[in-house]
Amino acid sequence: MNRAAIIWRVASFAVAAGFVAIWQLIANLKLVSPVFLPGPDRAWAALMRGFSSGDLWSKLAGTLEHMAYGWLAASIAGIAIGAIIGSSSRMRTYVAPSLEFLRPLPVSAIIPVAIAMLGLTQAMALFVIAFGAIWPIMLATIHGFAAVEPRLYEVARSLQMSRLAVIFKIALPSASPDILAGMRLSLTVALILSVVCEILAGLDGLGHWVLLSARAFRSADLFAGVILLGLTGYVTSVAMSLAEHRLLAWQAAQR
Amino acid sequence: MASAAKRLEAVYGTATPQIAFDGVTLVLGGKTIIENLSLGVQPGEFLCIVGASGCGKTTALRLAAGLYQPTSGKVNFDGQPMREPRREIAIVFQDYGKALLPWRTAAGNVSLALEAGGMPSAERPARIEELLRTVGLPGHAGKYPSEMSGGMQQRLQIARCLAQEPKTLLMDEPFGALDAMTRQGLQDEVLSLVAASGATVIFVTHDLDEAIYLGDRVIGLLPHPGRIGIELSVNLPRPRDQLSTREHPEFLRLRRQLFDFIKATEQ
Ligand SMILES: Nc1ncnc2c1ncn2[C@@H]1O[C@H](COP(=O)(O)OP(=O)(O)OP(=O)(O)O)[C@@H](O)[C@H]1O
Ligand SMILES: [Mg+2]
Repeated sequence: MNRAAIIWRVASFAVAAGFVAIWQLIANLKLVSPVFLPGPDRAWAALMRGFSSGDLWSKLAGTLEHMAYGWLAASIAGIAIGAIIGSSSRMRTYVAPSLEFLRPLPVSAIIPVAIAMLGLTQAMALFVIAFGAIWPIMLATIHGFAAVEPRLYEVARSLQMSRLAVIFKIALPSASPDILAGMRLSLTVALILSVVCEILAGLDGLGHWVLLSARAFRSADLFAGVILLGLTGYVTSVAMSLAEHRLLAWQAAQR
Repeated sequence: MASAAKRLEAVYGTATPQIAFDGVTLVLGGKTIIENLSLGVQPGEFLCIVGASGCGKTTALRLAAGLYQPTSGKVNFDGQPMREPRREIAIVFQDYGKALLPWRTAAGNVSLALEAGGMPSAERPARIEELLRTVGLPGHAGKYPSEMSGGMQQRLQIARCLAQEPKTLLMDEPFGALDAMTRQGLQDEVLSLVAASGATVIFVTHDLDEAIYLGDRVIGLLPHPGRIGIELSVNLPRPRDQLSTREHPEFLRLRRQLFDFIKATEQ
């Protein structure tokens, strides 16, 4: 890491620390009633209490589980469907209009449909999360497959490579930067929808914890849950970036 | 079409040409790109094709590769009609940057051809090393194409083509984007590689000197639609040498003839 990068890193920590300090100040001065706004000290204590009693762990595990299953289902389906649509220009012209109709549809609009069909169940949550998270992945995959260098397909033809080999050795690696970027976007969508589903269906998870804490006016617990959700989003996204960095090492060489 | 076969017989006796165009016409997008092209390339022959820009050189090469099917007429390979590309015919594309897999190292790019040929993975590393050494890239196995110069990338593409163990090597202005020094070095390398493997070569170039220096025969195409305008046999001794071959009176005579032809087509 060079000097400039270190200075930026230090500066960003300073800004974060500044926000916490202001938050503490507002809480101490009681500018907002402590019933609604606990200070960082109380939120931290609630977080530690939740972990030591084990409650928060199980809630966190629940949310991570919903998020992971939905995201993985979205990834598999999104890449598969995106690959089929993206690798044929005829499919693109036929299917693209329907996609344009479905894509801007807010996921919240299909939640009632999902509840009506599947009830307030894990299956409903999985469906809603996967449905919301599939779009970035699928659209990125379509784009990635459509943008494969045609010359490479000619190389594949002159090598008489099988269809399967062309997909796995040419098209997928070529589309991988797009696909991984789509998967990173979907991660956030999956987290948001996990929380929404937990709140709506009362499924075990941080969403449920936050809802119950709010109803009981336990603002410290509420904030502990929110902080944990923020951390979850941050950590998963950093992990995804690291994975991207490793998988796309060849791109670093290109720049 | 029978006349073409007769002409070939007259020139070469009854030997089957490795690649034979028989009255080939190709229409793309309502435009006749190649018209009634008949041409035989003998096994082991080094044929060069020259012609003004847009006269159909690349298109002719793609027909020879099986990447295009003729609208009428036939393209035969070893006496069999060519329906699709095949591994015995390797193509070196001009735009090496697009023809290499950027996510694979030099070794990985060569490996692609070996994988396609069904070579067991245990045997590949030794063969890859050998091929990279052959094209003058030893010690670069772990580099990505983007970390290599243009000349090195083109060498790498040639290594991948050699990995196909082709009977025929098609090259489309392979050195067009390279500087003069790199170009001459690669010309000599290609000549020695081809001499060693005995492959048949069709080599497209803009550079008349390059065509005469490399070829056993040079064909000049006329544009709109593409057809043969001139055909020259190059009776220069092999191995060729960058200095003495280019000063040879026969070289200069052919060069003059080809130059006049190209000038006439451009008017
Ligand atoms: N797919 C296609 N559809 C329609 N016309 C085409 C197509 N491909 C090539 N052409 C036309 O055919 C002609 C010959 O093209 P080709 O690429 O074979 O020329 P070339 O001799 O290789 O030219 P250059 O020296 O510039 O590479 C050009 O006029 C080109 O515009
Ligand atoms: Mg061309």
